[in-house]
Amino acid sequence: MWTGKLRDSGWQGASLVAITYIYFLIFAQFAFLNRLDALGIAGTQLKSVMAAMAAGGILLSLLTPRITLWPSPVLRLRLGLGASGAAALFTLLPLGRGTAIAVALLIGAGLGMLTVTLVTHLGQWCGGKNQIFKVGIGTGVGYLLCNVPAFFAAQPLVHAIAACLLCLAGIGITPRTIATSPVEPAADKASTFPFAFIVAGFAALVWLDSAAFFIIQHTASLKAGTWQGTAHLWTNGVLHLCAALGSAYLLRRRGLSLVLSSAFFMLACACLLLLDPTRVLLASMLYPIGVSLYSVALVAYPSLLSSATSIAERGRQAGWLYAIAGWIASALGIGMAQNLGHVPSGFVAAAGSVVLLPWLLKLLRTRTREIALVGAILLAAFGIERVHPPAHASAPISQVERGRRVYISEGCINCHSQYVRPHTRDVLMWGPVESLDALHREQPPLIGNRRQGPDLAEVGVRRSPLWLKMHFFNPAEVSGASAMPSYAFLFRDQRGDDLVAYLESLRGPGAQEHITAQEDWRPSAAAVARANAGSGKQLYQHYCATCHSRDGKTRATWQASFKRLPTDLTMGPFFYLPSADRPEVRLNRLEEIARFGIPGTDMAGHEYLTGRQVASIGLWLSQNVAKPHPSNEQHIPSGVKP
Amino acid sequence: MSPRSAEVCSRDDSQIIANAAWHSLLWLVIGNCIGVLLAVLLLVPALNRWLGEWTYGRWIMVHMNLALYGWGSLPMLGFLFKVYGADRGTPAAWCRPVLWAWSAALAVASLTWLSGESSGKLFLDWSGYARIAFPLAMLALWLLLAVSFVRTFKTADAAWTARIAKLLGLAILLAVPFAIYVASSPNLYPAVNPDTGGPTGASQLESSLIVVAILLMLPFGLARRKKGSLWPVAASWAALVAESALCVSMARGDTSHHSPAQFLSLGSLLLWLPLTPAYYEAFEWHANTRRWRSAFLWWWGGLLVSGWVLFLPGVLDYFKFTDGLVGHSFTAMAGFLSALLIFVMVQLLGEDGWIFTQTRSFHAWNWGVFAYVVIMSLSGWFEGSDPAFTITFGPLRNVLYILRLATGVIMLAASLEWLVDASALLGKRELATAHVVQEKTA
Repeated sequence: MWTGKLRDSGWQGASLVAITYIYFLIFAQFAFLNRLDALGIAGTQLKSVMAAMAAGGILLSLLTPRITLWPSPVLRLRLGLGASGAAALFTLLPLGRGTAIAVALLIGAGLGMLTVTLVTHLGQWCGGKNQIFKVGIGTGVGYLLCNVPAFFAAQPLVHAIAACLLCLAGIGITPRTIATSPVEPAADKASTFPFAFIVAGFAALVWLDSAAFFIIQHTASLKAGTWQGTAHLWTNGVLHLCAALGSAYLLRRRGLSLVLSSAFFMLACACLLLLDPTRVLLASMLYPIGVSLYSVALVAYPSLLSSATSIAERGRQAGWLYAIAGWIASALGIGMAQNLGHVPSGFVAAAGSVVLLPWLLKLLRTRTREIALVGAILLAAFGIERVHPPAHASAPISQVERGRRVYISEGCINCHSQYVRPHTRDVLMWGPVESLDALHREQPPLIGNRRQGPDLAEVGVRRSPLWLKMHFFNPAEVSGASAMPSYAFLFRDQRGDDLVAYLESLRGPGAQEHITAQEDWRPSAAAVARANAGSGKQLYQHYCATCHSRDGKTRATWQASFKRLPTDLTMGPFFYLPSADRPEVRLNRLEEIARFGIPGTDMAGHEYLTGRQVASIGLWLSQNVAKPHPSNEQHIPSGVKP
Repeated sequence: MSPRSAEVCSRDDSQIIANAAWHSLLWLVIGNCIGVLLAVLLLVPALNRWLGEWTYGRWIMVHMNLALYGWGSLPMLGFLFKVYGADRGTPAAWCRPVLWAWSAALAVASLTWLSGESSGKLFLDWSGYARIAFPLAMLALWLLLAVSFVRTFKTADAAWTARIAKLLGLAILLAVPFAIYVASSPNLYPAVNPDTGGPTGASQLESSLIVVAILLMLPFGLARRKKGSLWPVAASWAALVAESALCVSMARGDTSHHSPAQFLSLGSLLLWLPLTPAYYEAFEWHANTRRWRSAFLWWWGGLLVSGWVLFLPGVLDYFKFTDGLVGHSFTAMAGFLSALLIFVMVQLLGEDGWIFTQTRSFHAWNWGVFAYVVIMSLSGWFEGSDPAFTITFGPLRNVLYILRLATGVIMLAASLEWLVDASALLGKRELATAHVVQEKTA
């Protein structure tokens, strides 16, 4: 009785799906290529081997439903598994070009027979309930196991043996008889669309997937950002599994159209993100989700969701689907990736129009007015903008003005104000005060309403261009765990330098008086009394060491760019701390430098620190490192790098 | 009768309102998702590198503009459809296209903000292509309302006062798209409070009185006045006229909040603490609105008091540019405005208003907003005495920001529940319409 229950649970169906996917992914698509590489088969020879595999796959996909010699689906499935397993073992032999072509043909043929037979009868092997869910489990587990780091990184030999053993296991678990349980009806919205549309949709997705896969596989930097390292692989595996289960849920509840659209959205984003090296990580998250979403559908549609009215028709549909979408589209995708090295956005749009075509046609039929009005408005806006472009669009503008536009584009106003409030402590920290007339001359004034970072109205007074640039590259490193994101991408073109030029231009007429006021600043007596050398050391490590210690990160990264390398405070020289000064004068000078920096140099201040924090830094420095001695004070002349 | 015209005739008004609610909620959920993303980025800035050029600064533009022009505006389209009778007869077929046009303009605008297109003006961030597309969507709405108005002008049995009010409303609405276009220009900038760089008391009073005027007009398009309840209505309108006169008489230049005329005149808004509840009590409301009517009146009261207190000399100087004022803006948008909009939608939906009246989501939203405001006020308090509090990482700052993220997730969950319910309602309504069409065709 329990064996009957076990059979009804449909575990064989889920396992066969998992075995097929593992064989295809880790062996046919991956280990076999590595093996060919090891055998020195490359270039034209490799293309002919891969063409043989595709030919075998296409041929057997189309022929399997029409074979009358072995009418038993169980026998056909075992033959497919047997041929696939044998082909995996053959790859262990020292193959030449001819034998490699023969083995590739066998791999393709075995897979063609296996996949078409499996999906034609999968409904009978998946138990009576939750059949789509079992397809999702099988697919998800297949992908997960392929991404287990130890397995993924194994030698082609191990992959080939594992593929063979899995095929044997598949033969073992295939039921001897076909169950007669009916195919579970699903909330199928796909069957309302013509079969040709669905084949075209799958083909577009496989095409995108294959192209993206090939590009990642053959670009070292992309591969490093996606498929290398234990964490990456586990993340990929878990994402595949979750997406596969999600796909099964969506297929059951919302139908095929939504799943294919979602898969396209994910893959399209991944392909577009791969164009930008800074977004590879995000692409690596979206790619497995998109792949698993459609992979479940690729099995579930022909086996459980198609509108086929007979087993024979189901088989023929599966054959065409796998021949066109599986083999031909995959070859086209790889071919495009080989030739172009990337997926052009126009190609992504073309794939989208194919995948979304059924949905778009339905939308066009049921939402004609909506589409017409939206189209009319967007078109009219386009026309008006072309006829009346903004006045500044064509006029040449200065670098500072260009930088101002970058400031606006990046939304800097959302974190940085440009308004020094008179008669407040803003003046000492971010001053001097700008006149209202000057403010109203700006178009528009960029006052802002929130300070997530310092005020920038007079940033040109207190920061050098180099400091600004260093900060844009790595804010957290330069200014002690700043919450600002890196804007290194701006320096890939002229935007970064423009922005630096704009910020450097932000300085009003009262700069000199302001610097004089800063020189008069001293921490309050209470702050000095509460100062603590221990916390001064911590603050120094946090804010200063990046430039002022021998192994400081900022110092090391930018050492070629400094006009004068920041002083190593354990060694000197101390150009701004004359040894002749009394200790209390030196302490005051240290506090002033820590708070406001040194005007006209790359030494920036830390205006936002409290009086107690500044006094603590000064105390620790004066007690420990900043001890100028005549012997090391003037050894290195001003302006010369040590 | 052709199936198409049968469909048009059978499209009932609540389906139109449900559509407007759905579009509003869609943008609310998207805006909230972005809000949660922003809260995460503030805690873990390193995640920005995953976003390439779409960093925090660009997302915050999308977040604020979607809150204002998506969630904050689309429910009013439902209101206008109802008031001008666009939800009945032939024009009803064009309500959904107008909603689509509005949403499409927002979607396009979101992409332009993310790609770095911005006017540099907070809350009037329209530039480039979106600066034309969005006003055009507004004009499409105006055209629909105008056609509906002309169509019902002779047949409706409304009083002349109502017709004149609608005509006046149409004139104002026609000006809005042009005003948005012109006001988005970088060449125009309002008067500045020289002590803070923010708005002056006069301009705050001006914008607050526009909100009051809308609050006073809303009930006439939504409900009937109770018999024998004239005095609160008359007193409220008289107060609005008096305050408008006060506002007109105020100086328009760059004036400080330290000027008594500025903070005392803004204090006149406290008059609306007792007047607004009395005014709304004078109308007959659907029973489903009770919760959200109370909520919006509480938030309104809180906003009036906190708005005035935060403008006082010394207080504004302390809180300017801090999270404290962000919390205040949140009281206005997520507290008052959201509660008001939901109240309006519940009244318009009637029995279908259940999508907003679930106990769990009601409390999740309102307490979530309240907690957020408290957290931001605390953060603003610390920041007022230590500017580095939010500039650099620290344990207390991080704890507050984690709590802020948690409240954001709670609000997102509440809005998701509303969207799911609105989708179910819309599906049910469309199914019902399809059955009617089938029956009529048969």
